[in-house]
This record gives sequence, structure tokens and C-alpha cells, in this order.
Amino acid sequence: MIPPRDLFPDRAAVSARHPAIMAGSRRAQIIGWALVALLVALTVLSLSRLEFSFARLGSGLVQLGTFLGLMIPPSPGAQLATFSKALAETVAIAFLGTLLAAILSFPIGFLAARNVMTNRVVQFMTRRFSDSIRGVDTLIWALIWINVVGLGPFAGVLAIMTSDIGSFSKLYSEAIESVDRKPSEGVISTGGSSLHAVRFGIIPAVLPVLISQTLYYFESNTRSATIIGIVGAGGIGLHLAEMIRTFEWDRVAFIILMVLATVALIDFVSSRLRLALVGQRTTPV
Amino acid sequence: MSHATIRLPDHQIELLSAGYRRELAQRRRMALVGFVILMLAVLLSGFVAEVRPGVLFENIGKFTSYFGRIFYLDTGALVFTDIGEWFWGFWKWGKQLIDTLLIAYLGTLFGAIFAFLICFSAAINLTPQAGIRFAARRYLEFCRTVPEIVFALIFVVAFGLGPVPGVLAIMIHTIGALGKLFAEVVENIDMKPVEGIVASGGTRWQSIRYGVLPQVLPNFASYALLRFEINVRGASVMGFVGAGGIGQDLIEAIRKFYYSDVSAILLMIIATVMVIDIATERLRHRLITMEQGR
Amino acid sequence: MLELHSVTRRFGANRAVDNVSLAIEPGSFVGVIGRSGAGKSTLLRMINRLLDPTEGSIRWNGRDVTQLKGAELRAWRMRCAMVFQQFNIVGRLDVLTNVLMGRLNHMSEPRSLLKMWRAEDKAIAISALDQFDMTALAGQRAESLSGGQQQRVAICRALVQEPDIILADEPIASLDPRNTRLVMDALLRLNRHFGITIVCNLHDLDIAKDYCGRLVGMAQGRVVFDGAPDSLTEAAARELYGLEADEAMTMIPASQPITGLQHAAAAA
Repeated sequence: MIPPRDLFPDRAAVSARHPAIMAGSRRAQIIGWALVALLVALTVLSLSRLEFSFARLGSGLVQLGTFLGLMIPPSPGAQLATFSKALAETVAIAFLGTLLAAILSFPIGFLAARNVMTNRVVQFMTRRFSDSIRGVDTLIWALIWINVVGLGPFAGVLAIMTSDIGSFSKLYSEAIESVDRKPSEGVISTGGSSLHAVRFGIIPAVLPVLISQTLYYFESNTRSATIIGIVGAGGIGLHLAEMIRTFEWDRVAFIILMVLATVALIDFVSSRLRLALVGQRTTPV
Repeated sequence: MSHATIRLPDHQIELLSAGYRRELAQRRRMALVGFVILMLAVLLSGFVAEVRPGVLFENIGKFTSYFGRIFYLDTGALVFTDIGEWFWGFWKWGKQLIDTLLIAYLGTLFGAIFAFLICFSAAINLTPQAGIRFAARRYLEFCRTVPEIVFALIFVVAFGLGPVPGVLAIMIHTIGALGKLFAEVVENIDMKPVEGIVASGGTRWQSIRYGVLPQVLPNFASYALLRFEINVRGASVMGFVGAGGIGQDLIEAIRKFYYSDVSAILLMIIATVMVIDIATERLRHRLITMEQGR
Repeated sequence: MLELHSVTRRFGANRAVDNVSLAIEPGSFVGVIGRSGAGKSTLLRMINRLLDPTEGSIRWNGRDVTQLKGAELRAWRMRCAMVFQQFNIVGRLDVLTNVLMGRLNHMSEPRSLLKMWRAEDKAIAISALDQFDMTALAGQRAESLSGGQQQRVAICRALVQEPDIILADEPIASLDPRNTRLVMDALLRLNRHFGITIVCNLHDLDIAKDYCGRLVGMAQGRVVFDGAPDSLTEAAARELYGLEADEAMTMIPASQPITGLQHAAAAA
């Protein structure tokens, strides 16, 4: 056996020689704690302003538990056909909305890309235009389009399209800006015009990326399309909201499960397509 | 005329280009098939979604006239002529916008905290047990897939009208969205430092705190900021279903045709979202450069 | 005394370590040699329990460590500190914090998670750095250091664990010749000064002969040689290393052994 030993007999002396290291970085500590204190203060303030209370959370959770109990087993009642049709409508809305937005955003993306659009004013205005569109939620667009084409899924298609134009224009222009410059330089060097450079130097390189991003959005748009029915723009959302308002919890659960399955299916299909088209997984954030 | 390349005899060109054409034709056929499938899908979904281009063209004037009309006051004057009248509810809406921001803040903060606690269980490199990982992943998927408005609808019934259900709905959705991203970040870390700490007798949370966290924190913060921006937009419509914030007044203005109010509220929302967008982008940029600079 | 009883580790059909039995005396300096893929690394990782053996048991002073769980497992890991080929320190943390990682098991978990180090732990960490003349680097980010410095930080981390054994897995494979000497000298010093048992995986036979009191040769997961460095004939070594023999035996020209030191462990 090794006798008990002290590996650091001179630690008192050594630490006395290095007071700075012993003290550590006070500044970093103070900044860290100040940040934490700030976050905590803001959180407490928000909680009280938004009228949070333990009593409310507690009774709400109890209620929620009751609802959860009533959700089991999920059942469509006599409305399976209605729900299925509404779900098909939802997918159709998402598909058409995404496709239309992609077609319309394609030119806008080029207008907003710094390396293609040399006119700074046009480029800046296009960016702000797409930023403004993105600032408005899909549900708001749905309400506005209902005023134009009336209640129903068509308003939903237009709403998804509009809000996606904002997102796609930004994504597309960023993809175009990050494209390798050498191919278009090559086209220019052979005497091609700048339009040639776009056609042969940029489009072949970005097209797979754009398609992959669009496919990725198809899945998230299906999720958005499930809710626009809440304001009357078609799809399953109308039934979902109605079932929640009338406390038909087993049907609520059934609809949610249907949506989950559909989104999972579309996610699967779109990732397979992305894989086939681009050859690798690209997940834009 | 002098050519750098000598033109080959025609039959030779014919022979050489045949292969190229065959390959091209193959690709064309594939593209054609894809296009036909796409068109069929468009027609089918156009039918299902009751797309009536006629209605759109008939009423497209309404869209522009709607945007025209929201820029006129009740008196018939352009909104810009009387800013005070246009933004008559500025303070009221401002307060509701602050509520909206706070809803987004709390939802993002609590969502990020729970996502942080769960993400390690969903990452294969820190949780080899398939059962736990499966449960964590399915849970995150559920939170992410059910839209926050649906949670809000349910929570409004359970917790009563107001911002509380809004915060909870956004929180749940954020857990799902951030949890997945966080787990992906964690799966891409260098495991050697973690192994080093485990080998010195560190606990799971100690090795996460010192082995994992220093590697992932900038990314986590960046994703959370991005999520905050998205959540501000989401919180702006929580009022549609009675879950607090500016949405309540907005849907009322749209439904009751208070035209100038619609434009005023929309402009305030857009401005807020833009400011948040720019601010978070700056912050994220700082985070990234700080990380690289050190 | 560390004892391995017919320890086997399988990865699928492959036996990385095959029926290995060893007894390692306290205070010895053992070199485990062999070509890459011979199972040396798996062997060391099993002792620290980063990997679990498929069969067999590992005993420390008669106690089976292969069954340990939770706090007891962590206490065992603290006793048999590990030094890695790629250092395995946290690049984004400063040097002192990296050394303090070796003290994690000596403090309460909440305290450690909040980075509230005790003065005692800090003093120990600084003393460890002081032993290797590295106190000046205490505040630097570990990833900004050279490979040799990083490995010495890792050795400091191992030292502050106050271990009975140090398991060094190819500690010099990523280093240049000068740092190789520095790091091996550091391990030797811990062995001589404090009687810490060293089990060191080495690819380089000359280094192994210079520093180790006992060599264990492994091939295809089995122990094929076990004895004093002098008893390893050139022919046996060639067989052990196969095609890699020239690389392992002439990478560093036969250098002066640190006279009288290499068998010190056995004497201690």
C-alpha cells in the first residue's frame, strides 16, 4: 500500500504567490451576474404584468388534466369523412400556396440579391418589401384575403402564398448571394451578357438549393394551413376550433393526431425528394 | 476567316453528339415526367382547394382597393394628413405591443430553458439509451408540429382569456422547435473534452456544464434569438383566439372594417418586428464574431 | 494492486481485447506496447470504465471495479486518472478551469455547476500548474496553447485528482520529439515523486524502453509479451510490430536513457 501522501505540500505558498489567479476574473463574474439579474428582473416584471399567478396556473393545469382525460380515446365521432376532406383541403392549400409563392419569389429573389442587382435602390426596396410581408403573420393575411375572395380555402391559398413570398424572397436572395462567383465570371469572360451570367452561371448552381428550401417549407406550410381555418380560410382548422369551443375533446385529439400523421408523411416525402434532388440534407433554419 | 478549332466532318460530329443527345433525352424525359406529375398535383389540389381564378380576377380590385381604403380615415381624408387621428390609439396599441413582446419574451425564455433541459436526452452522443432518446424526440416533435395557435385555443379554455395561455402556447412550441435545433448542435460537438471530464469522475451534468456547454452556447443563444423574432410575430396573432397582446384589437379592426386602424396597427407590428429582426441579427452577428475572435 | 482477470471486450464479432490477465504493482511504470489496433487503447479505457468489458473482471485492491455504478464509479475514475492522445481538454475554457475539472469529484455538484470553486481547490490547481511552470498560462484559453502545453495541462488535471494510477493512452503520439520528452519526463516525475502507478500506451518502442520498468506487448487483443524492457529481443519486437517495426523502433534515434531512472519505479 502506498502511504497517504500530500501531492501539493506547498499549495499555501504557491497560492500566496499568485493572488491574481486566486481572485479570478472579477469583471467577468460581475458581468455574468448582472446579466442574470437583469433577465430575472425582466422575467418577474413580465410575469406580474401578464397576470401570472400560481392559483391560475394550478387551476388551469387541473382543467387541462381533465381535458386530457376526456381526449382518450381519440375518436372522430360520425365526422371521419368531413375531417378527411378538410385535411385534404389543408394539404392542397399548403401545396398550392407554396408553389405559387415559389414561382413569384424566384424573380424577386434575384432583385433582392446584392451580387445580381447592382441597382442599390431597387435591391434595398425589394428587401424592405419582403421584410414587411414577413412581419405580418399568415393569419392576418388570411383575414385580408377573405375580404377579397370570400370565405373558403382559396383565401387560404392566397394567404400562404403571400406570407411565403416574404420568406422565400429572403431565403432565395441569400442563396443567390452565397453562390460561387467563378462560373458567372467564366460566362462573362467568354463575352456573355450579365443575363447570360445569371442564366448559365447562377441558376444551375442555386436551383437545387432553392427547390430544397421550398420543399422544406412545404412541410411547415402544412402546419400553417391547419390553422388558417380558424379565421375561415378553409382546411381542418375550422373544425378543430369548433371542436375545441364545443368541448368535443375526443374529436380534438383525433384531429390533432390526423394532423401529426399528415405532417410526418409530408416531412418524409419532402426529405426524400430533397435527398433525390440535392443529394444531401440541407436544412435551412 | 481563321478558326482556332477545325470543324470536324459532319458524320463525325453526328457520331460524337449522339451520346450527348441520348443523355440529354434521358434527362428531358425525367423532367417531363416530373412536370406532368406536378401539373396533375396542381390540378387536383386546385380542385380540392376550390381555386377559382375567375373570382380572383374579378375581385383582385378589392385587394388593391382594400389597401387603398385602409389608408383613408373615416372622414375620407388620407391618413397622412392627420397622423394624430390615424394613430389615435397609439398609447393603447403601444401597451398591447409591449404585452405582445413580453409574451414572446417569456415564451422564448421558458421554452429555451425546457428545450435546454431536454435536448441532451435527444442527442445520440450524450444519450445512448434508445428508449429515452425516442421519448425525448417524439415529445419535441409533438410540441413542434402542433401549431401554437391550437395550443392557445385549448389553453384559453383551461386557463381563461388573457396573455397566460398565449405565453404557455408559445413556450410549448418553442420547446419543440429549439429542442430539435439544440439537439442537432449537441450532436455535432467534439466529444473529446466531454470524455476527458467523464474520465476524471465528473457527473453527467458536470460534463455537460464544462464539456458541452462551452462548445454549444453561442449557437444556442443565436438560435434562441432567432426564435424570439419568430415568436414576436406569433404573439401578434395570439389575440385572435383571446390569448393576449395586440391581436385582439387587430382582428376587431379587420372584422369591423375600421380601415385606418388596420393600417395603423399593421404598421406598428411591422415596425416592431423589423426592429427586433435587426436587433437580434446584430446580436447574433456579435455572438459569432466574438466566438471567432477569442 | 490492479488486477485484470481474463478481460475480454468484443465489438461485434471482433475481439478488441481477448482474455487479458495482468497484475500491476503499486508504484510501477508499465508500458503497453504493440502496433496500432492491437487493443491497447481499449484496455486502458476499460480500466477507467469508459468502456465496459464484455467478460472478465478488473480488481483494485481486491475490489471488483467493473460492477461500480454512480458515485462509486466516479470515485474510481477519480482514482485512475486518464491522459489522452488528443489531450481531451476543453479548448474554450481557460487553463485553470481545465485543471479544476480534475477536482469536480471533490466538491458538491451544485457548487461545481455554478463555478464556485473553493480556495483550497484553486490552490491545488495552481500548485499543479506551478509544478510544470505553467502558472503564467492560467488565464489563457486552452485551445490557444501548443500541443505539448495542452498535454501538460491534461497531466495537471490528472494530478489534481490525487490519483493512485494514471492511465496514459498514447500521450505522446500527437507531439513533436521535444515535447515527447517533456511529457514523458512529467509522467516519470509523478511516478518517482509521488509513487503514482503509471500505465502508459506507447507506440514508440525506444521511448517505452527508456521510461518503463515493465513492458506488456499486445497483438490482436492478446498479451504476447510481459517482462523487463531488457528481455525484449529485437526479433520479438519485430514480431510484435510486424510491418510497423521500423517506424516504431527508429522514429527517434536511440537516445540516452535517463540513467538509473527507468527501473526506479520497481525499486520504489
